Amino acid sequence: MQWRRLKDAFATNSFRIILSLTNSIIFIIAIGLFIKGKPILFQKSISELLVSSIWQPLKGHFGFLPFIIGTIAVTAFAMTLAVPICLLSAIYLAEYAPRRLRELLRPVIDVLAGIPSVIYGLWGVIVIVPLVRWLGQVTGHITSGYNLLSGAIVLAIMVFPFIISVATEVFLTVPIEAHEASLSLGATRWETVKHVVLKAARRGVMAAIVLGFARAIGETMAVLMVVGNVAKVPKSLFDPAYPLPALIANNYGEMMSIPLYDAALMLAALILLVIVTIFNLGAHFTLLRMERKSQ
Amino acid sequence: MRHLKSFIPIFVYLLFFLSIFISFSSCTKKVEQQSSEFGFSGTIKVSGAWALYPMMVKWGEEFQKIHPNVRVDISAGGAGKGVSDALAGLVDLGMVSREIKQEEIDRGGCFVPVVKDAVFPVINAANPALSYGLAQKGMTRQQFIDLWITGKTLSWGEIVGTELPEKVAVYTRSDACGAAETWAKYLGKMQENLQGIGVYGDPGLAEAVKQDKLGIGFNNLNYAYDMKTGLPVAGLQVISIDVNENGVIDPEEDLSTKSKAIEAIMTGHYPSPPARDLYLLTKNSFQGLTRSFILWILSEGQNFVEEVGYIKLAPTQIERAMQELQ
Repeated sequence: MQWRRLKDAFATNSFRIILSLTNSIIFIIAIGLFIKGKPILFQKSISELLVSSIWQPLKGHFGFLPFIIGTIAVTAFAMTLAVPICLLSAIYLAEYAPRRLRELLRPVIDVLAGIPSVIYGLWGVIVIVPLVRWLGQVTGHITSGYNLLSGAIVLAIMVFPFIISVATEVFLTVPIEAHEASLSLGATRWETVKHVVLKAARRGVMAAIVLGFARAIGETMAVLMVVGNVAKVPKSLFDPAYPLPALIANNYGEMMSIPLYDAALMLAALILLVIVTIFNLGAHFTLLRMERKSQ
Repeated sequence: MRHLKSFIPIFVYLLFFLSIFISFSSCTKKVEQQSSEFGFSGTIKVSGAWALYPMMVKWGEEFQKIHPNVRVDISAGGAGKGVSDALAGLVDLGMVSREIKQEEIDRGGCFVPVVKDAVFPVINAANPALSYGLAQKGMTRQQFIDLWITGKTLSWGEIVGTELPEKVAVYTRSDACGAAETWAKYLGKMQENLQGIGVYGDPGLAEAVKQDKLGIGFNNLNYAYDMKTGLPVAGLQVISIDVNENGVIDPEEDLSTKSKAIEAIMTGHYPSPPARDLYLLTKNSFQGLTRSFILWILSEGQNFVEEVGYIKLAPTQIERAMQELQ
């Protein structure tokens, strides 16, 4: 009898410790980055670092603006490309596709999620970059093909499987009775999807988009291989961009002899972490509000 | 007893982790170096520049053939990593593909050149200006400066002196690297001053120029020339530098094949930089096994240099390096 209780207490406490450990990792990372990035924060004002767009480490100019804008622009454009395509695919898979086709396609989409990002990057260099260069020629922009648009296209393709599989899963949980009720009132299939399924599933859809976004914003290798990596604020889709993860990956370990460079890269990582945290918290509270409204 | 049974998995886990721990700690134990009838024994740890990595692997293999009790551990990760690892005492030798900076010497960095390498400007083999005699005229340093540093967007027509309106697409490396640093130094600046689309890695840069008819970039020897044929990599053309600026590529300036390029570097007709020495760096001084290894690299080790695709040091350089080691 005693043993049973003891084991229960042991399980409760040890799981609690494990949970608190996993939750504290984010703070440990943030504190570590802050400590390593401190030297540059002491010498430059934070507003100068965030607003200046001059990146010349050897002359002591560390302006993060091109990188922050680059990160946000690539991610935002990738999401605007990916979300409609993914939702329409997911609706087709969940509502229209015959069952056998759905069962055939889902593992294929899961395989897409498992492809290493460097392969997407290589494929981007071989296929997307020449395509975008041709597109630029057609529309009258002189471009090498290594630009924001290429980065966004590659990134959009990389988040497809995440959004599609979660959204399909969510649509499938909408009860069959809801469909039946709507159809029995004389609604067409599309009207049912539009007014019943999408409404019932909107929280899950939001969660799928957040998951895709989280995947997109930190993606490094594939993007840096096609995005052009020029430290200037991009003015159009056909300009090269330089996202934060690419900056860190390109320079970490190489330029450590330059004073403050190390700290600047740590700060870049911290900025990225802050952007991701802000976005995720924002999405979380939006979800909460939606939940409260629906009650 | 029944209760004890449920703890057995925990014991198994504990044993598992303990064994991992033990096996790791035994790996890190450093074997002391000693001389015996089997030659040297011990471990030499190396890290650093990608540019020197294939060469170092070959040297490590050959050295281990002669001294079976020696282990050479090589990892790459960039010149900066090599320097910081060596100065922090994590490795015995750091591979460096750029000039050693004064701060690094001040911190106790001691280095010798071991082999030569060079960076070459490359263009697409289908470049339209080639039919207007670009290969015969070559390009001058000032034209490179206009492209990479001042960012004056030149057209290929301006470079060969015709009406061709197509603009030059300039490429550079996005990652911090010795090749870009060396190329920038040739143009009188630092890597961060190089304009152009940034592409990751040496192969990436070659690929970008291969795909862009109007592109120009720069590559290390082994990425500019095909190892087997000795000609520039298919789809690329190494553009000769008109060093004396007489408007013609003289025979000694010709870079059309790998052997001609190596000849130009050895005789000094190819400027340095972009020809460069690759270094091995250690903390304070070369001692013991590491010193023996370096001495071997500078003598017999030089025989493997051409096989792997690098350029031997000039005899005077070897002599000077040997003297410093004595």
